[in-house]
Amino acid sequence: MSDQTPALELTGIEMHYGYVLALSGIDFHVNAGEVVGLLGDNGAGKSTLLKVMSGAHRPSAGTIKVRGQKVEFHSPSDSTAAGIQMVYQDLALVDPQDISINLNIGREILRKGPLGWLGFVDRKAMRKRSEAELDRLGVRTAPMTRPVEMLSGGQRQTVAIARSAIRVSGETNGVLLLDEPTAALGYEQTKQVEALIRRMAGQGIAIVLVTHNLPLCYEVADRVVILNRGSKVADTVLAGTDPDHIVGWITGARPSQFAA
Amino acid sequence: MSSPVKPTAPAATPATPAAEVAVPTGSEMPRSVSALVLVRDQGIFVLWGVIIVVFSFWCAPYFATLDNALLVANAAAITAIFAAGVGFGVMTGVLDLSLPGTAAFASCLTGWLMTNGQPTWLALLAGFLAGALVGLVNGMIALRGFNPIIVTIGTLSVLSGIAAVIAAGYTFPGLTELEFMGTRRYFGVPAPVYIVALLFLVGTVFLTRTRDGIRLMAVGGNAEAVRRSGIHSDRYRVLGFVISGLCAALGGLVTTAITTEATPAASPAIIFNALTAVALAGVALTGGRGSLPRVLVGALILATIANGLTIRGVEPYWALVVTGVLLLASLVLERVIQSSVSDRLMSTANLSVHKKQV
Repeated sequence: MSDQTPALELTGIEMHYGYVLALSGIDFHVNAGEVVGLLGDNGAGKSTLLKVMSGAHRPSAGTIKVRGQKVEFHSPSDSTAAGIQMVYQDLALVDPQDISINLNIGREILRKGPLGWLGFVDRKAMRKRSEAELDRLGVRTAPMTRPVEMLSGGQRQTVAIARSAIRVSGETNGVLLLDEPTAALGYEQTKQVEALIRRMAGQGIAIVLVTHNLPLCYEVADRVVILNRGSKVADTVLAGTDPDHIVGWITGARPSQFAA
Repeated sequence: MSSPVKPTAPAATPATPAAEVAVPTGSEMPRSVSALVLVRDQGIFVLWGVIIVVFSFWCAPYFATLDNALLVANAAAITAIFAAGVGFGVMTGVLDLSLPGTAAFASCLTGWLMTNGQPTWLALLAGFLAGALVGLVNGMIALRGFNPIIVTIGTLSVLSGIAAVIAAGYTFPGLTELEFMGTRRYFGVPAPVYIVALLFLVGTVFLTRTRDGIRLMAVGGNAEAVRRSGIHSDRYRVLGFVISGLCAALGGLVTTAITTEATPAASPAIIFNALTAVALAGVALTGGRGSLPRVLVGALILATIANGLTIRGVEPYWALVVTGVLLLASLVLERVIQSSVSDRLMSTANLSVHKKQV
């Protein structure tokens, strides 16, 4: 696995908030087509690390590489341009608008000819494109014209994930950052989002999954990275790892793999 | 999977059951839900129709005539223009209370320019620019994180003051050059009716068919979602204020044209009438939803009720009572529909992330 260039690689990330060291010397990478679970207790630094990856925070030290290219994120739009998309817990969908508008906003298709010059959109073409994109992800939600407010929680989550996934799955597959994607979902819907995550990975999207939900990790993640009080304490392939060990790393009961 | 089976084979191939496995797709909207949504979205048109029918009988033979229809349309025009301003604002997520001030400012500026010998077109242009400018300022202030309601109350006060300063405490009477957009009739139809028709047509097409209009509505619905899609949602919020200000200027100028007098009095009744029409149209003040045609019908309903009751010789106060009752009833209806829609969706909802069925 280590012979390929990681889709996203962070080296020696340090993050200070005033005197507080939120992250210290974090190395992290995720390969194309890989699902990496990012685990840790509250305050372990998961969210901070995620914000570094999404460009919301600038690290105090350390380097970020996207597909081997060193980059610097000054704002979330920089990371977006580099092919990294974040799905937040609060979904941020436009409730009164339909699925098609939600998937297409910011990348609308204009009509051809003079109407297009006036800024008229081609709703039909946008619907068609979105349908094709969802098919490619293997997602079937409600009809494209259904307002998002009339969707179930799982469907809304699916639309939110798909909106980001579509934007990273161009000619080069990007990185998808998921923050507790199943926190608000019931059992059945969780299963279906799990299936979606695996399918996206199968298409070569690199996925970082932040969660408290260990069963979810075992279900979808190839590898987990565990943070404890701002440091990386474990980075291990999940298959064959004892859940008790994972919990031990999360709580700090188990010594770090990288203890110096 | 269509294997070369003998055509005589009666049994369905084993391929078909796979395709027929009932996978819950959640894609069928229950019919009752569609019906309820239809009532929510189109109910106001039905209500207007009912009111017209009732008055047609009750106020026969004076109500249901072409002349009276034009009278109603003309009476609704001013309210409709301001309601368009409020509606644009509310749908895009801003409640602009400075509209009467903007209207007074724009019309006094125009009146001042005209009485000082400037050509009419220039004076009108200045009035519209003033409206857009006020919207821009409102928007810039509101973007700093201040509550738009308070900001626009502040600008309302400032603007009506400035208008009074321009008019030096008086009014600008005798602006008969504006008659072409005030009392004049074209093909028997008063000018304000054309203006309103054009305004709502352009506005509706803009909001539902163009990229910027759709984004504007989306910003009203969830600015954060739009921002995360890489769009400068702030620009669209300012645009909402600017359009609102332009509508206010238009309303002020049409009022001036009808009365041939520019007055600095910024009547709060303007904003309350407009808000009533908007609320009657079911445009949620939380933003992101609603439609301009419904706002227009809201304004028309107000005018229709006032007109019908006047014909019957009912004291005009009753028009206020009826309007208020309708407004409250529409709120109740909205709530009932909302909850029964979500109940029904709850009972049938299911997620359908599954392999596409081929």
